Amino acid sequence: MTQAHHVVVEVNGVKREADVEPRLLLVHFLRENLGLTGSHIGCDTTSCGACTVLLDGKAVKSCTVLAVQADGRKVTTIEGLGADGKLDRVQEGFVAKHGLQCGFCTPGMVISAYALLQENPDPTEEEIKTAISGNICRCTGYESIIESVKHAAKAGRRRKAPSRPSRRRS
Amino acid sequence: MIPPRFEYAAPKSIGEAVGLLKSSGGEAKVLAGGQSMIPLLKLRLAAPALLVDINRIEGLDYIRESGGFLRVGALTRVATLSRSALLERRYGALHDASLTIADPLVRNLGTVGGNISHGDPSNDLPAVLLAAEGELAATGPSGGRTFRAEDFFVDTFTTALAQDEILTEARIPVPPPRSGGVYLKVEQKVADFATAGVAVQVSLGRESECAKVGIGLTGVGPTALKAKKAEGAMLGKKATDRKAVEEAGELAADASSPASDIRGTAEYKRGLIRMLVARGLDRASQRARRKS
Amino acid sequence: MSVGFVDEEQDPDVRFVRGAGRYVDDIKLEGMQHLYVVRSPYARARVLSVKGGITGDELKATMESVGEDAGGRSTVSFPVLSASYVSYVGQPVAAVLGGDKYEAADKAEEVDVQYEPLKPVMDPERSLESEPIHPGTESNLVAAAELGKDFELKAPVEVDETLRMERIAPNPMETKGMVASYDGSLLTVYASTQSPFSWREGLAGSLGLKEESVRVVQMDTGGGFGSKGGIYPEYVVAAYAAMKTKRPVKWSESRYENLLATNMGRGVRGRMKVYADRKGKLKGLKADLLVDVGAYPLGGGAWTAKWIASQLVGPYAVPKAYATAKAVLTNKVNMGPYRGAGRPEAAFFMERMMDRIADETGVDAAEVRLRNATTRRTISPLGMEAPPSRRFFMEALRAFKYSSRKKKEKVGLSFFMLIPAAYGGESAKLAVKGGRVKVWMGGSSHGQRHDVFAKKLVSEELGVPQDVIDFQHTDTAAISGGVGSWGSRTAILGGGALVEASRSLKAAAKKELGKGYSPARILEGDYEAEAFFKPKDMLNTLGANLATARLTKEGNAVVEEVLSFYDAGKVLNQFMLESQVTGGVAQGVGEVMYERAVYSEDGQLLTASIADAGVIHATEMPKSVVMTAAHRSTLPHGAKGVGESPTIGVPPAATRALEVLLGRRFTTLPIEPEKLWALDVSDGGRTR
Repeated sequence: MTQAHHVVVEVNGVKREADVEPRLLLVHFLRENLGLTGSHIGCDTTSCGACTVLLDGKAVKSCTVLAVQADGRKVTTIEGLGADGKLDRVQEGFVAKHGLQCGFCTPGMVISAYALLQENPDPTEEEIKTAISGNICRCTGYESIIESVKHAAKAGRRRKAPSRPSRRRS
Repeated sequence: MIPPRFEYAAPKSIGEAVGLLKSSGGEAKVLAGGQSMIPLLKLRLAAPALLVDINRIEGLDYIRESGGFLRVGALTRVATLSRSALLERRYGALHDASLTIADPLVRNLGTVGGNISHGDPSNDLPAVLLAAEGELAATGPSGGRTFRAEDFFVDTFTTALAQDEILTEARIPVPPPRSGGVYLKVEQKVADFATAGVAVQVSLGRESECAKVGIGLTGVGPTALKAKKAEGAMLGKKATDRKAVEEAGELAADASSPASDIRGTAEYKRGLIRMLVARGLDRASQRARRKS
Repeated sequence: MSVGFVDEEQDPDVRFVRGAGRYVDDIKLEGMQHLYVVRSPYARARVLSVKGGITGDELKATMESVGEDAGGRSTVSFPVLSASYVSYVGQPVAAVLGGDKYEAADKAEEVDVQYEPLKPVMDPERSLESEPIHPGTESNLVAAAELGKDFELKAPVEVDETLRMERIAPNPMETKGMVASYDGSLLTVYASTQSPFSWREGLAGSLGLKEESVRVVQMDTGGGFGSKGGIYPEYVVAAYAAMKTKRPVKWSESRYENLLATNMGRGVRGRMKVYADRKGKLKGLKADLLVDVGAYPLGGGAWTAKWIASQLVGPYAVPKAYATAKAVLTNKVNMGPYRGAGRPEAAFFMERMMDRIADETGVDAAEVRLRNATTRRTISPLGMEAPPSRRFFMEALRAFKYSSRKKKEKVGLSFFMLIPAAYGGESAKLAVKGGRVKVWMGGSSHGQRHDVFAKKLVSEELGVPQDVIDFQHTDTAAISGGVGSWGSRTAILGGGALVEASRSLKAAAKKELGKGYSPARILEGDYEAEAFFKPKDMLNTLGANLATARLTKEGNAVVEEVLSFYDAGKVLNQFMLESQVTGGVAQGVGEVMYERAVYSEDGQLLTASIADAGVIHATEMPKSVVMTAAHRSTLPHGAKGVGESPTIGVPPAATRALEVLLGRRFTTLPIEPEKLWALDVSDGGRTR
């Protein structure tokens, strides 16, 4: 038996502690230990991105991180987006533009889009495509996903500068 | 897919990490970005007794020029390369390559050191180092050593690193004025490994002739390859010299030994090498002229 | 009877964006164990011994043929766990249980299986001359069909061609999985499925249970594309393990397992010969098809060859046609339905020949098609009925602005007929209680948002607002029967059943309330109605695609834009329809450019990751423009099927666009990457 390691991870703003085997994948820690089943597992080759979470603010594939590596760090999962029961604007965008069908890739797509808009509030279509190129969707053909991200970006710009419509977009 | 059991340590210093590797008797592996290692563990293609996680070691994440070299710390994330204005301006091949590695999510974790020391002939950074006459610094139990990139890539998944050595820094000589580099990759789809990739680094002389030429190849041999004969064929020649460029492409294709696989036939890959070498020489020279 | 996993009052999109979808792998039950399946590493081998875990000596069950691919009984039995020989890489031979996934995976390594490898049969073209893969059988021939009458003909234009569509993996984003629990009398199965009723029939049959002793509840299902309509050996093993241990058992496969051991689509070769006059008018058609059914003929192998052959003529009129078709065994995972399931193969073969005729005669590709399009209801010499198609295709060409686009761009065109899987009908049920209306269908959504049209239809019929209607996942305990969701059938059949159930519920309410009847009063009462809808008319519908191709600045050919013009009947929801079609366009383009299953000579799957299998990313997606012709069907709600149209129409159109762009003839899908360069890369790109 391998030695268990005590980890303390801040998940969606809450400190969570557990003794884990070193080999435990972060995605399994989130899903099995914490019951946060929004992060999905769609492959085993770091290809599909259904498990995407934010690790210290950066979008990463939680199937390719060990839970022990997240010790002392911050993780945001799909369940951690939005506040006070309200959807985040990225989630709202995916609802408004139906950027999904079966819903399985959706949490990862939303997280990748969220990370993009944090860094680049006004992305071009090409930038959106690149940002979600580590996430596979088998249902939609991506068009509605791209529209969803654009919708969210637009909402973000409206929210940020309502009184300064002429402000230059960065 | 579930990894096998292993012990885990997260040392705080290189010395500690090297000590752990040494005392494991060859049963330990280094964990950096984990983007190749963890999939291997999940597929149970690797089964180390101990994983030495070097992510907690301070001071290995940097990009700076000093002492005539660009120095990139081994724990620098690939995404950080993409965001570097210095790289975009002066180390075009490295910058280009950073944007083609895997996908943006993988690039947020994948490291420069991991990409190089994994020894995967399909990884993109080795060809850049080969083209740019790069060096690699490593630390082991008896101190540090430096390798020329040319001597570093020994065989598929095998580098010159000893089992108890850790790569700490990748270096590229600061190029002289009128230099340019480019990395061109053909992949079937985004996020794929290269069907073939070519890194070209040139420095132009007074008449815009190639005073220095470096050509590295990805995915067409047991390791990334340095196409020396092709480099030689371009010395003193201009990138507009069609005959020289064709010959360089031919020599690079000859130097490669691609395998036929799901990405295409060996002949196709050789064809891509010819095409990419020609284009690479052209574009690297254009960049060199633009930056004079 | 709700199992309480899924909050069905919440809008599915909202649930999904919150990460509150409830898929099989999200289920946690008290005392639940995890099943891990030990699989054959060989494509063909004798099994000498199996030590450890649940083995085929313990569980002697065999597979039942159910679901979309049900094709009658086969002479070869497909063991749930193989004890004597294995026939494809990934075939289950044993299974172990663990307290969690980690423990189960570790235990699997302790199972010791001894094999004696045999040379596998991989090439369908050589299957019939090879040793039978199943001991005790006479040959690897599964089915042979002959349609139409053979003929002799001399025509000014005679073109023959051998065409291929390679095998591809369905690759739904959620892999297969289930949770089984057993209380001593009832086996309850939570399923990722397109058809709970097929599961019930299959599990009961394989385990020797009565259907009443099996309840199958559909969970949120992350895509299926045909692969989740029937049952697989692992389901039977997991159910058996739950019954044996009296503890809940979860089986949830990895992507690697999904690729090794999920039925694959396509894998069909067509030798086509067409006869035409100099104006491109068809005089005759001959075809010889070969279908690679894989190791066991359960996955549609028994009927696919004939099914494809029967629809080769498509929406055209041809005086003479004759087709032969064979289905043969190979040492690969079974063939099964994949979005379109035989329809894309037929359309690709025929449409490629229409383009050949255009090339041979110099007549425009659209004109050739129009000249041959049916002008009235026609039964082809191969036995398939087509509606009049000419007028529809003219409408499509106008919608595409074909003539002007053809002048400026490299375009490819396809015309086709979609034959929905209307056989068997479908059920629906409504229950009014406490002011809310619960709605079930016998087969329902695995990503299509069937709730949207269901709520609309029920709301329109009953006159109640949509927000009091709760769409339920299919549950065999909640509705008395059903078929499944596949073959472009759910909107037409499930929708029809919903309308009928609504009407009978309304009639019952009217009868009870008399003059006091009003839609609002329905909600105050307690009503139930169930309907099983079987259409009488032919529901075959028409579609057309136009694709354009261009060269990237690197000189690589890509599909740039895909226009779809489909007769979807009365459109139930334009937004959902466009989403479905664009998703199908992605799969159609994927099939032309990237997607394939490649096996080595010794039977190993070389494309064993979702990336290598070629599923496309956002960056590879062409622009998709979706247009519809709303010619009402004869059904109560006027709808027609559409789900499979893009995987039927896009491959031939996109292939043609690439062909026109590059001036090369393409006969096999996917097109090899090296053929998609404008220059001869194998010769060094010297022509740059």
